[in-house]
Amino acid sequence: MSVEDVFSSRLRIKILKMLTQVGELNVSEIARRLSVNYNTTSKHLKVLEDEGILQHKVFGRIRLYRLNERSSKARALQNLMEAWEHANKR
Amino acid sequence: MPQYRSIFKDETKLDIAYIPNRLLHRDSELRLLKEFFGFTLQFPSKMAQRVIITGDVGTGKTVLSQRFGVDITREANKLGTNLRYIHVNCREYRGSLFLILHHVVSVFHPTFPRRGYSAEELLRILLQILDEENVYVILALDEFESLVEQEGSEAVYKLTRLQEIRQNKPQRISLMCILRNLKAIEQLDSSTRSTLQSNIINLGKYSKQQLIDILGDRVSLAFKSLTVPEDTVNLAADIAFSEGGNARFGIELLWRAGKYADAEDLDVVEPECVRKAVSSIIPTMRKSDLASLRFHEKLFLLGIARIFKESQKAYVSLADAEQAYAVVCEEFDMKTHSHTQLWKYLQTLSDVGIVETEVSAAGNRGRSTLIYLPRIPILELEKELSALLEKEEA
Repeated sequence: MSVEDVFSSRLRIKILKMLTQVGELNVSEIARRLSVNYNTTSKHLKVLEDEGILQHKVFGRIRLYRLNERSSKARALQNLMEAWEHANKR
Repeated sequence: MPQYRSIFKDETKLDIAYIPNRLLHRDSELRLLKEFFGFTLQFPSKMAQRVIITGDVGTGKTVLSQRFGVDITREANKLGTNLRYIHVNCREYRGSLFLILHHVVSVFHPTFPRRGYSAEELLRILLQILDEENVYVILALDEFESLVEQEGSEAVYKLTRLQEIRQNKPQRISLMCILRNLKAIEQLDSSTRSTLQSNIINLGKYSKQQLIDILGDRVSLAFKSLTVPEDTVNLAADIAFSEGGNARFGIELLWRAGKYADAEDLDVVEPECVRKAVSSIIPTMRKSDLASLRFHEKLFLLGIARIFKESQKAYVSLADAEQAYAVVCEEFDMKTHSHTQLWKYLQTLSDVGIVETEVSAAGNRGRSTLIYLPRIPILELEKELSALLEKEEA
């Protein structure tokens, strides 16, 4: 997927921003914070995971999503988000 | 703006969360704990340990287990073992196994959801996390009674028998159950009880001298040099001893006394600061107790209050109290009562809990009775007594 396709979704950007700040979250909690339904959230999470930006762990019925520490895309995103937040605070 | 002066050097050393580097008078218990966990430390996957620590309030149960937690974690790390000591106060989690386990899981995954699964599932999840991250946990369940009261045998059984559902896998969770006495354990069914009651450490009440040592140690850490006289420490230790050998209470008293001293811009923490601190912590003098005293008991007590007020001492002798009583009698135009009678009055005042007495150690001049006023600020006492006496005279 091209970078413009990945970043074409406002929800995906919000998910990335959220996970950069919080660390990891389960699907229901991400959906609740975004005020969207579970299926939509899952769909976007899958896109980001397929791109290697996110990874998840399963604990029983719970799936916890976080940035994929081994992905250079994820690390670049983390730097971008932090730089953005930092610049906005100044 | 005037500069803020404080007699404290570092008041966090009096905080309940502070874990001292050395535990006074609990060395043998700390050594015993280390013995219990010796094998687990060497071969963590082969054996999980269960230990019960009992003792009254303020006997050092929590601080002992936390000190042990810090030490054993350090030891384990040196051996290359990923060991975590997790201390949970069960009462804070309303004795709920689910909430307690959620707290433990959240140590590893801070945003782990709170809903959507049972305590059993959470226990499995915890073990999964520990297996995946190759971590061993010593779970200290403080105020364990609360868990037993709330959840009964089943929850405890689940915690103690969790290895049985995972044969041939490493033992991951050791338990330290911390509670006041074994009564709560007796409520459990026999099979659960049998899984728990192997290693028991009972912490006895601290003696007065031990309390003096403990408080003295904290004073040296928390207060600036020479700001807390020996008398003040002794008085705080006496009160802590009378409260069941409660070191925590003594430490809190010192902190509050320090605050009173700071508020009054004093250079030292006087015994009166301790009295004020006590009155702010525990129920103090009831006016009805004073009102019910007989006239001469009140005169005698007023005399005692005045010596304390004038001398700023923590203790006065019975002989001094008798002299002060004679002066008060003169003031109220009353004939003094005999020594034997005053001795009886002192017993009454002690029974009511207004004063406390202690026989001093034999010295060159023999034994004498020392009186101290642990809980009542002198000024308040003097004011109240004067008002009552004037009313009775009129």
